Amino acid sequence: MKRYAYYLSCINESMTKELDRSISLWEKDLGIELVHLHESTCCGGSNLDYVSPKHFALVNARNIAHAEKMGIDLVVSCNTCLMTIRTAKKKLDASAELRAEVNEILKAEGLEYRGTSEVRHLLWVLIEDVGLETIKSKVKVPLNKYRIAPFYGCHILRPSTVLGKDDPLDPTSLDQLVVALGGSTIPYTHKNRCCGFHTLLVAEEESLSVAAEALGEAIDEKADFIVTPCPLCHTVLDGYQAKALKQADIHSSIPVLHLSEMVGLALGYTAKELGVKRHIVT
Amino acid sequence: MTVAADQHIEGKRDVTLRVFRLNPQVDSKPYYDDYTIPVERGITVLRALNYIKENIDASISYRVFCQAGICGSCGMRINGISKLACTTQVWDELSKCREEGIIKIEPLRNMPLIKDLIVDMDPLVAKMKQYSNWVDSTMPEAEMGKKEFLVSEEEFHRYDKATDCILCASCVSECSILRANKEYVSPAVLLKSYRMNADSRDGIHDIRLAELVQDHGVWDCTHCYRCQETCVKNIPIMDAIHGIREDAIESRGMKDTAGSKHAEAFMTDISKKGKLVEATLPFRTNGVAWTVKNLLPMAVKMILKRRTPPPPPLVKPSKGIKQFRAEFKEMSEHVKQDHKTHNK
Repeated sequence: MKRYAYYLSCINESMTKELDRSISLWEKDLGIELVHLHESTCCGGSNLDYVSPKHFALVNARNIAHAEKMGIDLVVSCNTCLMTIRTAKKKLDASAELRAEVNEILKAEGLEYRGTSEVRHLLWVLIEDVGLETIKSKVKVPLNKYRIAPFYGCHILRPSTVLGKDDPLDPTSLDQLVVALGGSTIPYTHKNRCCGFHTLLVAEEESLSVAAEALGEAIDEKADFIVTPCPLCHTVLDGYQAKALKQADIHSSIPVLHLSEMVGLALGYTAKELGVKRHIVT
Repeated sequence: MTVAADQHIEGKRDVTLRVFRLNPQVDSKPYYDDYTIPVERGITVLRALNYIKENIDASISYRVFCQAGICGSCGMRINGISKLACTTQVWDELSKCREEGIIKIEPLRNMPLIKDLIVDMDPLVAKMKQYSNWVDSTMPEAEMGKKEFLVSEEEFHRYDKATDCILCASCVSECSILRANKEYVSPAVLLKSYRMNADSRDGIHDIRLAELVQDHGVWDCTHCYRCQETCVKNIPIMDAIHGIREDAIESRGMKDTAGSKHAEAFMTDISKKGKLVEATLPFRTNGVAWTVKNLLPMAVKMILKRRTPPPPPLVKPSKGIKQFRAEFKEMSEHVKQDHKTHNK
């Protein structure tokens, strides 16, 4: 059983609770154990870095240092948390001065940021550590009935200088996972595009228009559902779906699954167990 | 056959360029023309287009000047992504084709079309004027040309990369928000604005910043990083956008706009609970009236699905919050000290 420190994202603690619950159903089936890091704090959600770069470095050095203390990697299941914490890590790794400054403060908690733990998305762990062949062998209910639209979300791809796993404009990792689970993906030009989440409260009309484009293509291509590795994308594509489609004058709907729910379905768990019924669109 | 001859054949093949065509004076709707030409390895998309124009179809229109990645004229979408035709190899695009051996060539997005691959740059230039994208010198006119206006190396490094912009408009074409609203300032203009506002020779920082924080300005960026990822000069455009935001918060305060209030909420919540209090985020960003009008119908659906974020008292603070608060506060002291040193 390979262990990881699991970062608790604010959104999964409040609105998309089904995400963490669904992972806990199947993690052991795939030979991984995610140790919930209750000490973790909000990463700053792609905002704290410009409000106060020093606080941004401190909170994320602390988040990573807790994983380092356990001697394991930090696993994240929200794209924006991933990008944000990795951005902080990049800055910390590049500056001995910044490291010294935050470590001086973290000392009081018995913590030290050293840069020894990687910060990784759950999707990457599934592909790189568990492996697609192992996943394939564990599938109980192949997703062969479904044509799936893989919506990656921005912050697992871009900026590539911080993420750097997948092609930032033509990604394939999520498609590979879908295929390993027995499903097939549709050609989906919006797979690498934005969901609009980060401007929902400051430019709602624009955000909904961005979301409607992604939803519209999946609907036009007759996908059975959209899958996303990011709970923020999920919140827009599911929670705001009716509003977005109404604004774009599209009269239809499409379910949106979390990556963790799609994996759970293929491993034999029911939609009810996985919390799919908690979604706005079911 | 010799090895050299084999390599030659391997490095030459027929490629189809599927080119977007529209002459608004004649055509009622756009169409695509396919041109299949022999291409050798090492040939750029621009040279392939030149070949077509010279040998097959002289009516095809595109902008071109330096042919060396300097002038920014030949921005276009190649296999769906905005880039310069003159620095893009045909061979490198073959693996990105949706249909084997067919490279799709289309005009940049988010700008009005003039003909075929030529877009109208005037709206972009108009925005550069709106946001005063030039240095408005603080030097009295009488002294100009008589005195040097020195810039320190440290200052120059703050906007060195931003000065690499060649206005090819690839970032404009890829921008998610501009696609939704053509009024949006656009990444290229934000980059220029950042560069001018960081320049010590400039005298209109506050005026420019006041314009940047208005509707359709810097707070409307949705952090998708497409601009940065497709920049043909690898300029970290998001650093400039975040730089303007940091400056706006420092110069104009956190209560200035919905965008700054939204950002402030993160700082406040982390300092208190270590967690974001999502339930009150819309109220704190936009006020009660906006939230009730815009989010009430959705809130009802969310309540029915038990999806609503918990009210503030029920948001559980992170484990070890007391110690964390002390650390956060200590860093606030560091920041205060930094500001004092900076202002000296």
